[in-house]
This record gives sequence, structure tokens and C-alpha cells, in this order.
Amino acid sequence: MQTVKMVISGAVNAGKTEFIKTISEIEVVSTERRATDDTKLIKKETTVAMDFGRIAIGDDLVLHLFGTPGQKRFDFMWEILSEGMLGLVILVDSTRPETFRETNRIIDFFISYRDTPYVVAANKQDKPNAWSPEELRLALRLPPQIKVLPCAANDRESVKNVLLGLLDVILQRSED
Amino acid sequence: MALVGNIRDFGLSDFLYLVDRGYKTGCLHLDRPDDSASLYFEKGKLISATRRHDDALVTELLLRKGKLNEQQAQQAIMAQRNDGGANVTQVIIQLDLVARDELQRVLQQHTEEAVYGLFAWPEGEFRFEPGQRPDATAPIMPAPLAVEHLIMEGVRRIDEWGRIRDRIPSNDMVVKFVEQPGEKAKGINLAPEEWRVFARINGKDTLAEIAQKTAMSDFDVCRIVYGFLTAGLVDVIRRPVAMPVMAGRAAAEVPRVKKSLVSRIINRIRGM
Repeated sequence: MQTVKMVISGAVNAGKTEFIKTISEIEVVSTERRATDDTKLIKKETTVAMDFGRIAIGDDLVLHLFGTPGQKRFDFMWEILSEGMLGLVILVDSTRPETFRETNRIIDFFISYRDTPYVVAANKQDKPNAWSPEELRLALRLPPQIKVLPCAANDRESVKNVLLGLLDVILQRSED
Repeated sequence: MALVGNIRDFGLSDFLYLVDRGYKTGCLHLDRPDDSASLYFEKGKLISATRRHDDALVTELLLRKGKLNEQQAQQAIMAQRNDGGANVTQVIIQLDLVARDELQRVLQQHTEEAVYGLFAWPEGEFRFEPGQRPDATAPIMPAPLAVEHLIMEGVRRIDEWGRIRDRIPSNDMVVKFVEQPGEKAKGINLAPEEWRVFARINGKDTLAEIAQKTAMSDFDVCRIVYGFLTAGLVDVIRRPVAMPVMAGRAAAEVPRVKKSLVSRIINRIRGM
């Protein structure tokens, strides 16, 4: 059985757990615990280890989805999770500009030393005052070749669209 | 849809960059308990700015500066009322009450004074209302102001590392020009020490090396480069290394995958 891995990252409360839950075929293995630091101001429970989802591609191939913990003190997990990944989805809460700096830090971490295929998902586009994908591109200073895709992590079609957008980037880099 | 936030989290210079690159038209409202400001933009350039404590009409401002007398001010207001399309600034030029260059100088100075102080705000709620335009009687400049000019001046007022470190996390990063800085550079006037740094940018030297070569402090070099960066003139990148190392470990290779495998995953997800 071959397994391939995609990583879903983003700042605290960007919607990583929801994103994986929406598309995973299995009950998401989530290690949510009551938040003990300032993240409790944002949500009562937040991801402190990781989320894990799975999509069977066939009898011999399975896609694993890993959500990274958002808090800085779990940075060490990012490196472990990113080893051997096929691609990366960076989720951004489009309604909270206060998370944009942290999002840039995360992007920088994942792509500064390796040419990782990635897309940015502008989550919570269904909420009032959401910054549009193009506004997010400017706010995050993303180059034109990086896809910034609209997303509502609670909507399966929207999540599929983001994953397909990433797979398209991966496809263009893959070999015959 | 309005863009809302706090400049503590998304700085004014970052917002000006967004307005410029997004060719946005509208009004950026900034509020804090003791002050407020409204900055009006047209296609990414600043056309007018007012502060809570100084929101004079253009005619009041020109009266105050001795550029108009009462009779001329009334004449301009009446003419503007009869000409629905033009703003008072345009009418003053049409009536030749003040020369265009002089009007630009006075209104630009007023606008810059209103804006520069905003860079010192550590926090304040912002709200950008797309499409919102200033009143016809507001001090609207005849020639809109490029925001790069404002950004550079605003950055000169930065006196702490925090905001700089958001964009330039390390002094070991290399500074390089963006591919076509020529057009953007036109709106910027550089101070002598900024030229010293500008002239040292070669796509190879790190910030630390530039500081050494210019005999300037790391802070001053980073602050100046932060201004260039925010104005869209340069990029800062990590220096390429032969053996990439992350946190003391060799970086993992991005796996090369077969097109057939990726196509299978695409087909599976499409079918879900």
C-alpha cells in the first residue's frame, strides 16, 4: 500500500480541523484539548497536536491529510509533518487580518528551504467582511504564480476545489 | 465589501501597499479614542486626507493660508454648486483663482501632514469603504499622490524592531531588486543614507554585510530596506545554501511523483 501526504497548515483558528473533517473518509483523528494559552480567547478548544484524515484512492494508494498545530510552541511538529509531503495547503481566516503576519511566518517556514508545491486557501469567504482572494494575495505579498483560492472549509465542494487546485500545481511538476 | 481590522496587526504601510497594487478607489477610515482620520484614494493613489481635528473645507484651508480671500472663496463655492461635476479644487483652477502648482503644493503639504502622523499610531481600527469619495468641498489635490512616497516617509518614523522583524526576520537575508523597480521608484525621494543603502543592493549581500559596508547600524539598514520592501522596490530572500539545513537537520526533498499517480488522486477527489 502506497501512501502520499498532504499538509494543511495555517494560523490558529484558520479552519484546518474543519477542512480535514469535511473531506476525510474516516472520522478525523483529532487531538483537540482545552486550550491553555491565549488561543482560548479565540476558541475554547484548539488543536494542540495534529489532525489526521484519510482518503482511499484505490486498493494500493491512500492519501493522508495532516493538519498542523497552530500555536508557535508546536513549531517543531511542522518540520516532522512536512517531510515527504506531496504538497501544502495554507489556510487563512479571511476575516482576521491580525493572523496575516503569522500566516506569512508559516509560509516562510515551509517554503524557504524547499520548493514545496502549495496553494493558499482564503477560508471563511462565506462570512461578512471577508477579504477577497486577490486582497489576500496583496496583503500576504504572494507572487502571481501562487494560487489563492476561495474557500469555505465547511463546504465539501469548496474543499475539493482547493485540493484540486493544489493537485494541479503538483501535476505540473510531476514526471511522466 | 469593507475591509476591517486594526493597524496594530496590519500596518498602515501594508495597507497603502494593498491600495496601490489593488488600484483601489475608496476611503480608509482610521479611528482611535482621541483621533480619527479619513484617507481617500482613487485608483491606488491618495487624493485627500482629513483628521478629526482638522477637517477644513478646501476654501477654508486656502483662506487660512492666504491663498484666497473671502470673495474668491464664495465665488468658488457658488461656481461649484452650478457645476455639478467638478469639485471645488477643480473650480478654483478653472477660475484661475490659484495657480495649479501652488494649489498642489499647499494641498499636498496639508495632506502629508495629516497622513504622516498616522504612521506613529501603535494601534487603531481601520475600515476601508470601497467606492467612497470625498465631498466636493474637501481639500482634494489636483494631482493624486503616489503612496510609495508616503510609505518611505512613514517608515522613516519607525523606531522599533517589531514591525521590521515581521518582514525581515533575520539580518542574514539577501536584498535584491524586484524585476522592474524603475516605474515604482519614480515617486520616491531618497534621503542620503537611503541612497547609501540603495547603492549597495546587489542581490548577493546580506543586510548584515550592507550594514558593515555602509558603516551603518543593523537597525538603520533594516529600517531603510523595510521601506524599500514595503514600497515594492526590493525583495529580501534567504541566501541560497548548498546543503539546506532546517533547525540543524537536513531538509527533506520534495518527492518527485509520477503524473499517473497525481491523475489518480485528481480523479478520486473529483468523484467524491
